[in-house]
Amino acid sequence: MMESLIWGYIYPNEAEIQWSILIVLYPYITGLVAGAFIASSLYHVFGKKEIKPVARFALLTALSFLLVATMPLLTHLGHPERGIEIMFTPHVTSAMSGFGYIYSFYLIVVGLEIWLSFREDIVKKALNSRGWKEVLYSALALFSYDISEKALHEDEKLAKRLAIIGIPSAAFLHGYVGFIFGGIKANPWWSTPLMPIIFLMSAIVSGIALLILLYIASMKIRKHAIDHKCLHSLAHYLWIFLILDFTLEILEIISMKYESLERIDIINRLLSDKIATTFYGVQIGLGIFIPFILILLVGIIKNRETLKMIMIAISSIFVVIGVFAMRWNVVIGGQEISKSLSGTNTYVPVFFNLEGVLPAIIILLIPFIILSVLTYILPPWKDMEPEE
Amino acid sequence: MQPHLKRVFMLLVIAIIGFVFVRSLIVPDSFGEYGWYRANSVNDIRNFPVKHAGSASCGDESCHAAIYSIWKDSGHKTVNCETCHGASGEHANNIRILPTPANDSRDFCGLCHFKRVARPENFPQIDPEIHGENLQCTYCHNPHKPWFV
Repeated sequence: MMESLIWGYIYPNEAEIQWSILIVLYPYITGLVAGAFIASSLYHVFGKKEIKPVARFALLTALSFLLVATMPLLTHLGHPERGIEIMFTPHVTSAMSGFGYIYSFYLIVVGLEIWLSFREDIVKKALNSRGWKEVLYSALALFSYDISEKALHEDEKLAKRLAIIGIPSAAFLHGYVGFIFGGIKANPWWSTPLMPIIFLMSAIVSGIALLILLYIASMKIRKHAIDHKCLHSLAHYLWIFLILDFTLEILEIISMKYESLERIDIINRLLSDKIATTFYGVQIGLGIFIPFILILLVGIIKNRETLKMIMIAISSIFVVIGVFAMRWNVVIGGQEISKSLSGTNTYVPVFFNLEGVLPAIIILLIPFIILSVLTYILPPWKDMEPEE
Repeated sequence: MQPHLKRVFMLLVIAIIGFVFVRSLIVPDSFGEYGWYRANSVNDIRNFPVKHAGSASCGDESCHAAIYSIWKDSGHKTVNCETCHGASGEHANNIRILPTPANDSRDFCGLCHFKRVARPENFPQIDPEIHGENLQCTYCHNPHKPWFV
């Protein structure tokens, strides 16, 4: 059976594809985190008032996904308890060894940012509730209940500074994930200095799209009107980052084709055969081209808010799928071509397996559960639902 | 600084100190002495009792000289006696202690001889689904002299 999956000459150790769908999920989830955080910093740092309704919600989204970002890796390792070793004894020549530290740093920044922006609510809840809620919120408030004008002002100042640190660390976290792939010189499909920035751009794109979807979904569930100004503003940023993302992705392909190094034959085969559908069809067509046109139309069409909302929602769904395809094309595509440059293998996902589709789906669902718990403890709704 | 900010930074400092403390407990003392591993593991491994006697010891004392001389010129000469017959360090010192019986299951032979794309084409390999009707390999093949059916 395996022979039918192989074309040309591959090395023995390439007969089995090691990095499965879980490793596709790893940069995907990390990207959603970075994207959601950068969307929130549009308000916190750049003072884009129209983003305000979703600014705190975006932070909670970022945290929910951040908490599961390491899960695909740990599941893939099969020995999750050994994961911490990467922080205890990091090997300095390995790009991966920094991940634990960068991730922890970012987790602290996001955690602090959320704590500061929700502190007023936390303190009020601690003072106004009884029983286990009082204990929970008092603990969250660190038993310090000062919400005077001055204290809140200090919080705001620190939150802004943190957000300023947060942007480069979000960029670093995700650019770094790109670097892990881009730094593998043996693989012609991965090895490019553009990889970190391509990953970063697609991360921002997917994060904003996810935020749009979650915003629309939560407003529909809560039966509350959508702030169209906020939605259009998010769509506007999504559109800008889509262009940047597309430019970089296509630039990489163009320069590979123009340079036509010895790797070009296998890259051509990869693009025209192995990942043709997921690359041209899903990543570029569905994930970039259609959303680009739809959001462009949203900018042109006057009034008809419901139609525009549907168009934005559809674009966002396509973007989220397209970015997943991009991660797939990088991670799986890169392993489907042989380092001999003259053979290919095929990855066949399995469903019920520790490396299979089922754990991937479960891992992808966990952040939404975490998010619903977080929004229950720290409701961000009053930003989104101004009293009419 | 506001008291609540002091508290949160204290918490952060405690977390970092906690990490450093746990790390110092968990990382073995001799880690990194020679390289990226626990240096004492070298001694630990050296002190393990030797379990294998080596193929030569099987033919040396002319205990199994006949089968040894067949095997040593066969296609399986690179597969040591103890690969199939099990570690026999104790047996070599005291013949009353018998080594574990040889593993002659299909799956064991298959570790080397089931068809895999990663194996060189001219290496003898079979598809277990269509070859041998689930009989033990040794029913037809002589493991001490492959092809001597």
